[in-house]
Amino acid sequence: MPPSKVLRSGAFRLALVFAAVFAVGAFALIAAFNGAVSSYADRTTQEALQAETALLKQQGAALGQAGLVTLIKRREQTARAEHYRYLLLASGGRRLAGSLPLGVARIGSTNISLPDAPEADEAPEDDDRDGAAEVSTVRTLGFRLADGSLVVVGRDAFAMEDLTRWVNRLTLWAGVGIVLSALIGGYLIAAAFLRRLERLNAAADRIMSGRLEERLPTIGGGEEFRRLSASLNAMLDRIEALMGNLRQVSTDIAHDLRTPLTRLRSTLEGIPAGASAAEHRLAHDQALEQLDQVLATFNALLRIGLIEGGGAKARFSSVDLSEVMERVWQAYQPAAEDARKELTAKIEPDVRVTGDAELIAQLFANLIENALAHTGPKARIRLSLGKTADRVEACVADDGPGIAPEERDKVLRRFYRLDASRSTPGAGLGLALVSAVIDLHGWRLTLSDNTPGLRVSIVAPQA
Amino acid sequence: MKILLLEDDEQTADYIAGGLRELGHTMDVCTNGRDGVFLGMDGDYEVMVVDRMMPQLDGLSAVKALRAAGVETPVLFLTAIGGVEDRVEGLEAGGDDYLVKPFAFTELAARLNALSRRRPIAASQNSLEVGDLQLDLIKRTVTRAGRRLDLQPQEFKLLEYLMRNEGQIVTRTMLLENVWSFHFDPRTNIVESHISRLRAKLDRGFAAPMIETVRGAGYRLDAAV
Repeated sequence: MPPSKVLRSGAFRLALVFAAVFAVGAFALIAAFNGAVSSYADRTTQEALQAETALLKQQGAALGQAGLVTLIKRREQTARAEHYRYLLLASGGRRLAGSLPLGVARIGSTNISLPDAPEADEAPEDDDRDGAAEVSTVRTLGFRLADGSLVVVGRDAFAMEDLTRWVNRLTLWAGVGIVLSALIGGYLIAAAFLRRLERLNAAADRIMSGRLEERLPTIGGGEEFRRLSASLNAMLDRIEALMGNLRQVSTDIAHDLRTPLTRLRSTLEGIPAGASAAEHRLAHDQALEQLDQVLATFNALLRIGLIEGGGAKARFSSVDLSEVMERVWQAYQPAAEDARKELTAKIEPDVRVTGDAELIAQLFANLIENALAHTGPKARIRLSLGKTADRVEACVADDGPGIAPEERDKVLRRFYRLDASRSTPGAGLGLALVSAVIDLHGWRLTLSDNTPGLRVSIVAPQA
Repeated sequence: MKILLLEDDEQTADYIAGGLRELGHTMDVCTNGRDGVFLGMDGDYEVMVVDRMMPQLDGLSAVKALRAAGVETPVLFLTAIGGVEDRVEGLEAGGDDYLVKPFAFTELAARLNALSRRRPIAASQNSLEVGDLQLDLIKRTVTRAGRRLDLQPQEFKLLEYLMRNEGQIVTRTMLLENVWSFHFDPRTNIVESHISRLRAKLDRGFAAPMIETVRGAGYRLDAAV
């Protein structure tokens, strides 16, 4: 997986976004922590100063000025470890004790940056090589004694400053660490996703280049990937079915139209030289008839194709199915009588469905013609239409030879002729058209045994 | 009749124009839609035959333009496609009839006659008369020479259509479309079955049969044959 591809992928970009959000959050957290620590340190220092101040006040009152000087000197030595520093000024401003600079001589709190006083056991040369002494912030608290002298206590924030410096460094390194791991992690995740998708793409390419029976693999990675694979596989099923249909139609056309076209050609070719006008006329009429038959088959095929294309669905409207079936029934009545068959109907009025009235009429006409063509003399054909709460059921039933169970779904295919009816005229497209119209409307068609005979039932939702 | 033909395929145009001229009609031919609109607006045609597929301006658009300009000449569309939607589209564009190629010439001739014959039906017209045959459109009754005929509803509609096209050939397809609203060709000849029943009722007891079968074309109703 080329790195540039991963870096450009949506998965990587998403990972970066998450990393940025996480980094911002982490920084905010650390900053808050930092702030809390600082204010704690501040508070602690202030409290310590106040405690020391209270103590000194007390001692000062008890010991007097000289005793206070001694106390302060002694405390400066011992308290150095705790980073306390002092300043004692007489009321006139003369320094009596302490190491704080005069700049801090005031009442109340201040902060001041001072070079660290050297430790007791340090030599002055132990300063930093570059000559600058380490500097830290000292917080001071000053107060005036009863005798007018000024005492200032200072405490440096060395430890706290150390802590703060340490926390800042931690923040920096943590930040760098987060960003790095986000980048690396994002890269790895993106690479993994891409690998999965590549498998899908590769399979799709293989299928499109001819291996239509193959299907996309399951690639794990969660429910959405499973659904994607499933949807794509369903599409492939449909494509395979359509292509299969196409293949079948091509072979059927080749097979079933070649015969009448050959007949047509031989009719025309067979006109003998010097034939009379009457013979020409006869051949001419025959040829036209055969040509019309071929055209009728082509038209029927085209019709079925157009219906399967689904364009008519946009013009669906509410159709009075009772009226359509009545009309078709009455249209075929005389023809049925002429063929010495009985065509009856029991049609419930005001049954409505959604669809195309023309195609529905053709559907029932085809079913009646099918019944007329495949039954013997004195056959009885019966139409019926009824409705229940939400459904509509229409039937065309005859008492002829019927269709064997194993042939029932095959008869709906184009050009399929039962062996028994191969000799009867007709291209075998009637039921194929019925099937196409049923599919277009989303209805259900069932072929069953009418004991005896064929029963074709159609179930549709009411409009 | 003066007929305007819009057809870009030369062979088809010759075939149609030639045949119609033989029948005595005057023909003007255009090979593209734009010329067709100009001619259609100027000339005074009784009927127009328009191919849907044409260069520069297709048939549908040409007819839409003519209708928008107020030209009311009846139009028959020719097309190689025969889908349900295509026919409806043609009618919505302002066409009056529709024929799918290839077609029998007699089909075209019969339909053109029927189109040009269209007269606005007077609101007051409530009966049709041909010879001694009378059809009451309100009461839905038929009498011949005063004698009441008992017709089934579809037989009535069939007779009505024949009477409205009195003296002209009507083809089987025209009958299927106008009497039964079937826009497909059934393999069984239901038209013939109905015609023979109608004949039996119409002509029983009369010397002169009124419905003539014209071989290879269709049927024709005449006052007295």
